[in-house]
Amino acid sequence: MMDLFIPDFCGMGLHLRLDGFRMVYCLIAVFMWAVSGAFSREYMAHYENRGRYYFFLWATFFATVGVFLSADLYTTFLFFEIMSFTSYVWVAFDQRRASLRAAETYLAVAVIGGLVLLMGLFLLYDQFGTLEMDDLARLAGPVLSGPLEGRIRLYAAGGMLLFGFGAKAGCFPLHIWLPKAHPEAPAPASALLSGILTKAGVFGIIFTACGLFGADQAAGALLTLLGLVTMLLGAVLALFSVNLKRTLACSSVSQIGFILTGIGMACLLRSAGAENLTAVRGAFLHMVNHSSFKLVLFLCAGVVFMNLHQLDLNEIRGFGRGKPALLAAFLSGALGIGGVPLLSGYISKTLLHESIVEYQGLAQNPGLFYLAEWVFLLTGGMTVAYMLKLFVALFVEKNQDPQRQRAFDEMGPGMGPLTKGVLLLAAAVPPILGLLPHWTMDPIADLGQGFFYAAGTAERVAYFAPENLRGAAISIGLGAGIYVFVARGLLMRKEGAVRCYVNRWPQALDLEELVYRPLLLKVLPAIFGGLCQALDRYLVDTVVKGFLAAGTFCSRVLDSLVDGFIRLLRRTTHRPLGPPKEMLDSDPAAHLVGGILDRAAGFFHKMPKAGSITDRLARDEERAKGTLRLIQESFSYGLLLACIGLCLTLGYLLLSFWGR
Amino acid sequence: MGGILLAGPVFLPIFTGTLLFLLQPWITTPRRQTLVRGALLLLVLGNSIWMGALIAINGGESPPQVLFRLYGELTVMFRLDRMGSVFAGLVSFLWPLATLYAFSYMEKEERRPTFFGFYTISFGVTLGVALAGNLVTMYLFYEMLTFATFPLVMHPMTSQAARATRRYLYYSIGGAAFAFLGLIYVLTYSATGTTAFVPGGMLNPAAGGKELTLLLYVLAFFGFGVKAALFPFHGWLPKATVAPTPVTALLHAVAGLKSGAFAVLRLTYFSFGAALLRGTWAQWVVMGAALVTIVYASTMAVREVHWKRRLAYSTISNLSYILFGASLMTPAGLAAALAHLIVHAIMKICAFFCAGAVQTQTGKTYVTELDGLGRRMPVTFGCFTVAALSLMGIPPFAGFLSKWSLCTAALSAASDAGGAALPVVGVAVILYSALMTGIYMLSVSVRVFFPWRAAALPDRRDPDWRMLLPLLLFAGLLLALGLCGQPLLAALADIGKEAG
Repeated sequence: MMDLFIPDFCGMGLHLRLDGFRMVYCLIAVFMWAVSGAFSREYMAHYENRGRYYFFLWATFFATVGVFLSADLYTTFLFFEIMSFTSYVWVAFDQRRASLRAAETYLAVAVIGGLVLLMGLFLLYDQFGTLEMDDLARLAGPVLSGPLEGRIRLYAAGGMLLFGFGAKAGCFPLHIWLPKAHPEAPAPASALLSGILTKAGVFGIIFTACGLFGADQAAGALLTLLGLVTMLLGAVLALFSVNLKRTLACSSVSQIGFILTGIGMACLLRSAGAENLTAVRGAFLHMVNHSSFKLVLFLCAGVVFMNLHQLDLNEIRGFGRGKPALLAAFLSGALGIGGVPLLSGYISKTLLHESIVEYQGLAQNPGLFYLAEWVFLLTGGMTVAYMLKLFVALFVEKNQDPQRQRAFDEMGPGMGPLTKGVLLLAAAVPPILGLLPHWTMDPIADLGQGFFYAAGTAERVAYFAPENLRGAAISIGLGAGIYVFVARGLLMRKEGAVRCYVNRWPQALDLEELVYRPLLLKVLPAIFGGLCQALDRYLVDTVVKGFLAAGTFCSRVLDSLVDGFIRLLRRTTHRPLGPPKEMLDSDPAAHLVGGILDRAAGFFHKMPKAGSITDRLARDEERAKGTLRLIQESFSYGLLLACIGLCLTLGYLLLSFWGR
Repeated sequence: MGGILLAGPVFLPIFTGTLLFLLQPWITTPRRQTLVRGALLLLVLGNSIWMGALIAINGGESPPQVLFRLYGELTVMFRLDRMGSVFAGLVSFLWPLATLYAFSYMEKEERRPTFFGFYTISFGVTLGVALAGNLVTMYLFYEMLTFATFPLVMHPMTSQAARATRRYLYYSIGGAAFAFLGLIYVLTYSATGTTAFVPGGMLNPAAGGKELTLLLYVLAFFGFGVKAALFPFHGWLPKATVAPTPVTALLHAVAGLKSGAFAVLRLTYFSFGAALLRGTWAQWVVMGAALVTIVYASTMAVREVHWKRRLAYSTISNLSYILFGASLMTPAGLAAALAHLIVHAIMKICAFFCAGAVQTQTGKTYVTELDGLGRRMPVTFGCFTVAALSLMGIPPFAGFLSKWSLCTAALSAASDAGGAALPVVGVAVILYSALMTGIYMLSVSVRVFFPWRAAALPDRRDPDWRMLLPLLLFAGLLLALGLCGQPLLAALADIGKEAG
């Protein structure tokens, strides 16, 4: 085991490690990229922008190796994100409308998954103060048996990690990108996407499940459930598909389900206190096997696409006839993935099956795990059925158009020597591993199991014992039945003289179109956007208007306050003198006296200069009345009265004292 | 002598800009234009070097230098401290590059001497904000910045520009009024008797009453927050994108908005003091405002199709990342806010310069018109994609580091505050915003590099070296900081520890 610390690099520093598991997966990565790279030479020969493709092909290689070498989650996350973004270019590479749409889905899943993963990492880092895998695995155990609050936080973080890694692995319900992206990407890229990029997600899930929640029953049950659903759903989708690469992509979903089930069983077995090496080795070997199968199968699909630029089963039917190299390669992958004995898939599936059987004895409700076993066997059967469907379409049936069939036959092997070489090299892996399991697969499992924090000691499993062969036989038998009755019966239609493959999968049942796209593109933007627009258009405006209105109102009030004060003063203390009063005719005394005086003045010819005495008297009387009123109303008059009252009181008091 | 040395970088650009106005009638021939341009660039570059040398020689710290006294304790004082050095260094690094870019961008525009005059003056004023040693000086330069930059917004001389300018002035001056309240309060109740910045705050906690202190802090926060485009005072920024791109880039990425954010940091950590505010209602109010701004602006950015306005909304949301960091009131929060201040400046100026380059080369301003341009202008859009990924927070670019430190700071602040919910909500908000950033930035990159319909492409090329050099430098810097940014983060953490 080798450790490499690069302190302070990229923020928190990187921690890389080379141990058994990581070495196996790095070697697989090197092998797969070498094969795909060599295959790309012919496949990509007619494309523009090859430079772009190769650049991102190798950039993703480094990022993927980085993920598999990482020994702390921070490093994992760094490389994981880089890998997501560089592999985006593969999917979008064709720049057709469909590929851009698929790429959009891929990017959306990658970005959302990445962010949720990041949130999970934040929570973990906050809780434990470290992201080193070893430390986390050590620290998580006490928390899981500790108080509830810590457990909830750990479950929340673990759920987010599972979401983030599961999105990349293609776990239900985040598998939506696989069936879209694989058919659109160039075939060598599809092989890598399916064969190894999904495994980077599985790598994270393994740590989350086995490292963080190693002995936790709930986590194990959740993973097992997710695994079973994913495997069954993927297999059903694959069976219904009529597109070569789409079938393979759905098959990837299904196989990831097998691996997840294995991981879940490993957790469950450990939580029951039992040895879980069978499950661990099964899951790990199935990872390795699936990588090799999908490499071969997608490269075969690549050969088909390279020649025909078609993937529809009806169009490519009969292409493989008379092409022994293609046949051999396809058979190797198809039989392997179907779990046929003597190929590697049989070994890993046997181990997985065995682990479910082991747990049946320990489970609280074994019935569920008998059901799980049958789901497992049924899915194995469906795997056989859909691979048989592809095989028959490609290699057995003739094309409905005899001219095309002739053209197919004249194509020869359909590939150049280099392509053929690497294809056969990749195809050699499953039989070699499957024929010599004790020499090849056991050592690989020995290397890998350390990463699973497994308990127990490895025993030598008799892979070809009758009871193990029985499981494979059931699956293959089921598969043959499904093929005959479902794939040929239900999923084909007679058109004229030939039977055609038809897509009977209801279009409406598309999780992405049904739920995710409306949710992300309609509902959330409508809510948030509407809210924000309302805020923008109305809130700010209303606030400003309200502020202005309130300000104006206050100013008006203040304005009239001063005005009112002045008015009050003018009415009271500062009252202006009115205009000269008109003569009041109604004042008889003044008229009487004034009239007499006036006449008297007239009699003596002494009319005063100021005018009529009557007027003067009337005015004086008026003024006297006014003064009197003013005095009576005024404060000083009141004071005066009070003063007089006080004086009287004082006088009275003095008098009474004096009288005493 | 030391005072002159320190004040030099502030006043040299102001004099240079003023000189440029006076020289305007003389610059008639192309030869003289070239001469003036060269001299200007040299002066700006020299000023930056001067600033850099000051920081390098003094190790980021210098004793306070009182330049002159307005009245009583109202002194204009410069002092270089480490936080100021960060901002000053950032500004000095970006300005010459922006000037170089502006020469290319403004080639076809009119009234260039006026433009470059104010452009250069803003440099000095921004440095003034960075170097201010007390709240009074900072406030003065903060106000001056408004007046130095509004002619730049006005530059296109259209009615749209006039409206935008008016809005900018109203908002900025109104905000400054609230900030002024805070200034007076600090001046009255300062424990030291002056407003000189003290790490950890210098307010006398006994005086003035707790509630009043908090109220005035909130008012001052929003007052300075206007320049940092805090919701609901963000309205001026998207409108102000009518200005020429070098201005929008610089105003948004460096001068205006960062001054606002920087002022908030000064106010929080160096005047009122984080310890005083931690765990009070004032903290939750300002944090809530920052979070609302993030959600709001990143959502609006997705809805906006005008490229520069979209970037403006993105700026609003990112500025509130900084304010969110500031409102954590912890050393780690300050460090994270400073980290995002630096990183965001680089990535946003990079993104804006790309938009400006596309606008000069093709005249396209809407996102929907960009299909397939990536083949024609690979370098420009390559740099844009780097900025976009960094803005999203994708490793190994620098944006990831600052967001990482921001989120970890928020979570540890939440634990310290006894499981407060708001910082945790803040982390979720930042991740939501990252998703929105992915949509509004990457949709541009995807569109230009992977067009699904083969539109007739204009035969345009990448711009000349004066535009490309800054772009490449910024993109390279983002990558370099992302890979080896740890020393910077450590230095910022030190500043945080001192002031928190």
